[in-house]
Amino acid sequence: MVMNAPFIVSQTAGLILAVVLGLFFGLFLERGGLGNPHKLTGVFYLTDFSVPKAMFTAILVAATGLYLLSDLKLLDMHRVWIVPTFFWPQLLGGALFGIGFLVSGYCPGTAVAGLSSGRLDALVTMLGIGAGSLVFAIVYPAIEGFYSSSPMEGATLPSLLGVSHWVVMAFVYLMAAGMFYAMERYERTR
Amino acid sequence: MEVFMKKDSFWSPYIAGAGLGLTLLATFVIVGWGLGASSAFSLVTGVGLEKLSPEYAHKLTYFSQYLNVEAPLLNWVLFEIMGLFLGALAGSLLTGNFRLRFDKPEHMSTGARLLTAFGGGIIIGFSSRLARGCTSGVALSGGAQLALAGWVFVIAMFVSGFIGAALFRRLWS
Repeated sequence: MVMNAPFIVSQTAGLILAVVLGLFFGLFLERGGLGNPHKLTGVFYLTDFSVPKAMFTAILVAATGLYLLSDLKLLDMHRVWIVPTFFWPQLLGGALFGIGFLVSGYCPGTAVAGLSSGRLDALVTMLGIGAGSLVFAIVYPAIEGFYSSSPMEGATLPSLLGVSHWVVMAFVYLMAAGMFYAMERYERTR
Repeated sequence: MEVFMKKDSFWSPYIAGAGLGLTLLATFVIVGWGLGASSAFSLVTGVGLEKLSPEYAHKLTYFSQYLNVEAPLLNWVLFEIMGLFLGALAGSLLTGNFRLRFDKPEHMSTGARLLTAFGGGIIIGFSSRLARGCTSGVALSGGAQLALAGWVFVIAMFVSGFIGAALFRRLWS
């Protein structure tokens, strides 16, 4: 019998699953050292590569599994919600986010993991994230046009390039292998 | 037996990353979307504001997506974040990494750290709304779907972080 993932679950079951999946998310973040602002910002100063190592390993594992299950017809990709692309707001948003990440030493999920390891500065950052969301909601009418600009909803690299997802994955594997090799080498020589 | 008050010990980031990847994959397979984080902060802010000043909260059209639902707090990402908190707490307690502290770069004063923690948080809160998500919802979840959004976000974030670190060398190093 063909499995038909993703599954439709009731709201209650969905919320219980959210807590369970969140437990693992938090456990792996904390165990990877990603609740520690010194390690989180280390990549930007070339002193600690935990963030890119954990992040790109996670992307590789999840992407491989996702496309493999889809090819094996065990998962219906059309029913997976694809993160929508709005090119310019996400480019500017990502660039601004990098500065916020560098200055505070956290991102939203890792700030929660930071608080979980007893870091009160992470709580201050969490309050700041709430305040920043409020600022956004206040100025939203003025920037709504830009926020909704350059929509490319559902755009994926394979669909844009018109190639098989495994061609894109091959590049991702090569890039990650090159990056991991360079980071390991750099750490050994310094 | 491990001695408790010691320097934080962690797993290899590759192992932790593989665990994160499997968690994300399970999320895609079971519920049909990825992991998130920043929207929970926006949601709680909107709901909190509604408690303080319902009139003003409803004037902010951006928050209507949270407030115009039957039970705003029964939100998937918010529950996932509560799980995240407990999972990370279990990790830090079981390994003796839990320590109440105000973490900051060695040379930085407490006042300055309050400012960088809060100010950086404001920038994160604003920019993750602009980008429709953060490192979790856009970079990690979008990146794993090979969605353009994820790769645009992740590249922009690393480039600006590197430039920022070169400009503000003494911020963390």
